[in-house]
Amino acid sequence: MTAILTVLRPLAHLNTFLLRIGRTAAWMAMAAMVIIIMLQVVFRYAFNNALAWPDEAARFLMLWMTGLIAPSAYRWGGFVAIDMIKDMLPRRLGSLLGLLLLLLSLVVLIYGFRLGLNHVSSGWLFNSSSLKFPLDFLGLGLVRVKLAWMYMSLPVGLLLMSLVNVELCLKALAHLIDPEADLPEDHDRVLVAVE
Amino acid sequence: AQGADITLRATANSNENDEDYDGLVVFKDYVEKASNGAIAVELFIGTQLCSTGAECLQGIADGSIDIYISTSGGASGIFPYVQVLDLPYLLRDDRVAEAVLTEGPFVRAMREQMLADSGDKIRLMTIGNTGGWRNFANTKREVRSPADLAGLKIRTVVADLPQELVRAMGASPTPIPWPELFTSFQTGVVEGTQNGITDIMGMKFPDAGLKFLTLDGHSYMGALWYMNNDRFMGMDASMRRVIVDGFAALQQATFASPKRKSIDAYKAFAEAGGSVYVPSMEEKAQFKEAAAPVFDWFKANVDGGTTFYDLLVAEAAKATEEIDAGAALDTK
Amino acid sequence: MLFFFLPLFLLFLMIGLPVFFGMLAAPGLLLWLNGQERDIALLYRNVYTGMDSFPLMAIPFFMLAGELMNRGGITMRIVEFSQALIGHLKGGLAHVNILSSMLFAGLSGSAVADVSALGSMLIPAMEKNGYTRRFAAAVTAASSVIGPIIPPSGIMIIYAYVMGESVAALFLAGILPGILVGVGLMIVVALMARQNDFPAASARASWPEKGRASLKAFYPLMTPVIILGGILGGVFTPTEASAVAAVYAFIVALFILKTMGWADLPQVLTKAAMTTSVVLLLVGAAMAFKTVVSLSHAPEIMAAFILGLTDEPLLLLFLINLLLFVVGMFLDAGPAIIILAPILAPIFTELGVHPVHFAIIMSVNLTVGLATPPMGLVLFITSSVSGEKVETIAKAILPFLAVEILVIFLITFVPQISLFMPQLFGFAR
Ligand code: NA
Ligand code: NA
Repeated sequence: MTAILTVLRPLAHLNTFLLRIGRTAAWMAMAAMVIIIMLQVVFRYAFNNALAWPDEAARFLMLWMTGLIAPSAYRWGGFVAIDMIKDMLPRRLGSLLGLLLLLLSLVVLIYGFRLGLNHVSSGWLFNSSSLKFPLDFLGLGLVRVKLAWMYMSLPVGLLLMSLVNVELCLKALAHLIDPEADLPEDHDRVLVAVE
Repeated sequence: AQGADITLRATANSNENDEDYDGLVVFKDYVEKASNGAIAVELFIGTQLCSTGAECLQGIADGSIDIYISTSGGASGIFPYVQVLDLPYLLRDDRVAEAVLTEGPFVRAMREQMLADSGDKIRLMTIGNTGGWRNFANTKREVRSPADLAGLKIRTVVADLPQELVRAMGASPTPIPWPELFTSFQTGVVEGTQNGITDIMGMKFPDAGLKFLTLDGHSYMGALWYMNNDRFMGMDASMRRVIVDGFAALQQATFASPKRKSIDAYKAFAEAGGSVYVPSMEEKAQFKEAAAPVFDWFKANVDGGTTFYDLLVAEAAKATEEIDAGAALDTK
Repeated sequence: MLFFFLPLFLLFLMIGLPVFFGMLAAPGLLLWLNGQERDIALLYRNVYTGMDSFPLMAIPFFMLAGELMNRGGITMRIVEFSQALIGHLKGGLAHVNILSSMLFAGLSGSAVADVSALGSMLIPAMEKNGYTRRFAAAVTAASSVIGPIIPPSGIMIIYAYVMGESVAALFLAGILPGILVGVGLMIVVALMARQNDFPAASARASWPEKGRASLKAFYPLMTPVIILGGILGGVFTPTEASAVAAVYAFIVALFILKTMGWADLPQVLTKAAMTTSVVLLLVGAAMAFKTVVSLSHAPEIMAAFILGLTDEPLLLLFLINLLLFVVGMFLDAGPAIIILAPILAPIFTELGVHPVHFAIIMSVNLTVGLATPPMGLVLFITSSVSGEKVETIAKAILPFLAVEILVIFLITFVPQISLFMPQLFGFAR
């Protein structure tokens, strides 16, 4: 039990810290998406001068927003599941099933992360069709954004979710051993899930 | 697929009415017969396996897809020079385009370049056609010359070249995702597009108000067919030959198919209330002149642009000369 | 072998694996056992590209708009407006609940937003007014499914995205069916009110009172006008309209009603982003799942099977209603559409069913499934909002469900209900 808690406490802290950064970046991405789409509408409708980049830029932000905030949703039980059978089983057995399901999810996450790395590495071959930075002043000319930067959002999300998953596993294990154990709480949760 | 030594998975992001499908059917039939059943070809038509050029080409690169067809737009993210095919009015007509693409150095040079750029993963097999020629079509008025295009909001993909072209014509390039295009015609978010007739009818655009079509034929709708290079090179020489011949048969089928299909498509277009305008020689010359800035833009801004531009122009000149000389003999 | 991914998926789902993981684990495991490692890479790539889509961006924006409306006190104004109109009827608050849902549906694209916004306000109010909590919860859950039927609608955006239909056409097509569901529910309430002597919520509002309530609700109620007007007028695309809706809600809340401050924004944006992330991952996983569905050639087998039963469209539609209803009990509407629409829609359009009509049949059916056990998302949320048990709500909702099923059949067999509006505006033939 002590062993579990020694790992769990710092991990929970780390997750709280990382996910806080993720959420901040995510809401800013959401705000930026709205602004970009409004620009697109205004430029096309009012100025009759459609911009090429908003479509891709907004998608870029949406993907990163998802990758960075989904781990918070996962940590707070936002992923839809049917808990009927788990609730019907005796408590210990239910916890055990919960732990097994978490482990199965972890396999999916880690396998996905590995595939994600391959996906990202192939993304260095591809240029974005509309996202580019004029870096002439650095002597680099017009630099096109590589799609790998976009692809990275998903493995980053999966990695963060794996960390959350390990935390949840340890919590489930601790709970299985001692249902009264004093486990680290995540106080941020209250902040967002007020209603 | 039972009993075959090799099963090839081919995909095209279109549907079974498309010329891509016709090509694949011919390919499948040829390869399965010529290999005596050693090679089987499995067709996935649509977006079940992947849905965009970048995504599907990645599937080719990582080996999860064996055969794929993209348009030049779909490949421009990784191979920007393929847009040379989108340059307006470089190829005079079908005969010239087909001659350039069938034998000769153009496709081979492009294959070399693509292998080099993809780390020896993506192999260009052949270039066929998908949908004939790109024309200007719009919801507003009959377009006879570039002047009539002025101010129209023309849908383009987000790639640079099609936008430069529309701008050169004095119109306003408007990127709209393909799935939103139908609704955008209905509501007037955009007023025109550059597509082949079969795509226009396939998407039922006349129902959304697209009525005026001008056959300026500004660019050839090339279909680039790829294969995973490891998969190809992993076969023995005789099987590779079967594949190469299969793609030659496919190419011929995709050359022929749009010509046949467009007859019905034009008829359907007329029945849906559409009108077609064929520009005169003078008007066509005006279009070509208006497009001039695009060539300079292409050579200056696209990696490998000058090489492939020069090659295509030279090959087109050679083919034009041969065809005209042949025609001179044939008409005697 | 690959064909077993469906039962395996259902098994995973039943023992409590989150849907997102189930949709990846089941096909992934079978592909792995089959030695088709390269297809697992395909599975991954489709999760990514399933999410990487411009039209899907409407989902976060409508979530955001709903969140802003809610936080900005706009929900309250809609309820007050409904109350001024029909609060004096017998069973007043129950009617108000339903009418508010219909009005709220014009601002929000999801049933979940509807339940959490209206439920937290109306369920306690109904209890105070003498209704049982289970009844209040049931009315809330049943009427919230109108949210994604009346435009804007998250699931219709998904449907249009998957099937290449016109979003504007689907939006217009949802209006009458949504109203029909609302009217049906009100009839049930009226019957029950007479039998159980439900109280009225308030005295009949005078015309000046009605006027004041309308004035207060004016800006929120303009939202659907702006959304549909902008789309139909060619100012913006449906996707862009969702961003416009969010900006409009923002302006109304911050500058017109002044019910919200800049400091509230990060929290509102965070909540919308979080809900969106869950939905988008589900869409991605469903697109990947769909890939394996096609690798296994299940659609062809299924189509052949369905057409083998009968080629009488009306009978087939009836059967498909049953199938969709059962699917809706187990699966969220979005993923269900992604997986099933490409299989089912072509069969029916081939048989002469209008594609827009079929889209509505499917959407309404699956939406109603949100309020049925065991996997009704709406039931779960109503339960957490009201503190009433899911089973209890599930029982109390039955009479409302019966009416909704009736409406589904009406929509199925009278295509004009779906097609009238899009045809009127020239978005469908
Ligand atoms: Na709605
Ligand atoms: Na309600």
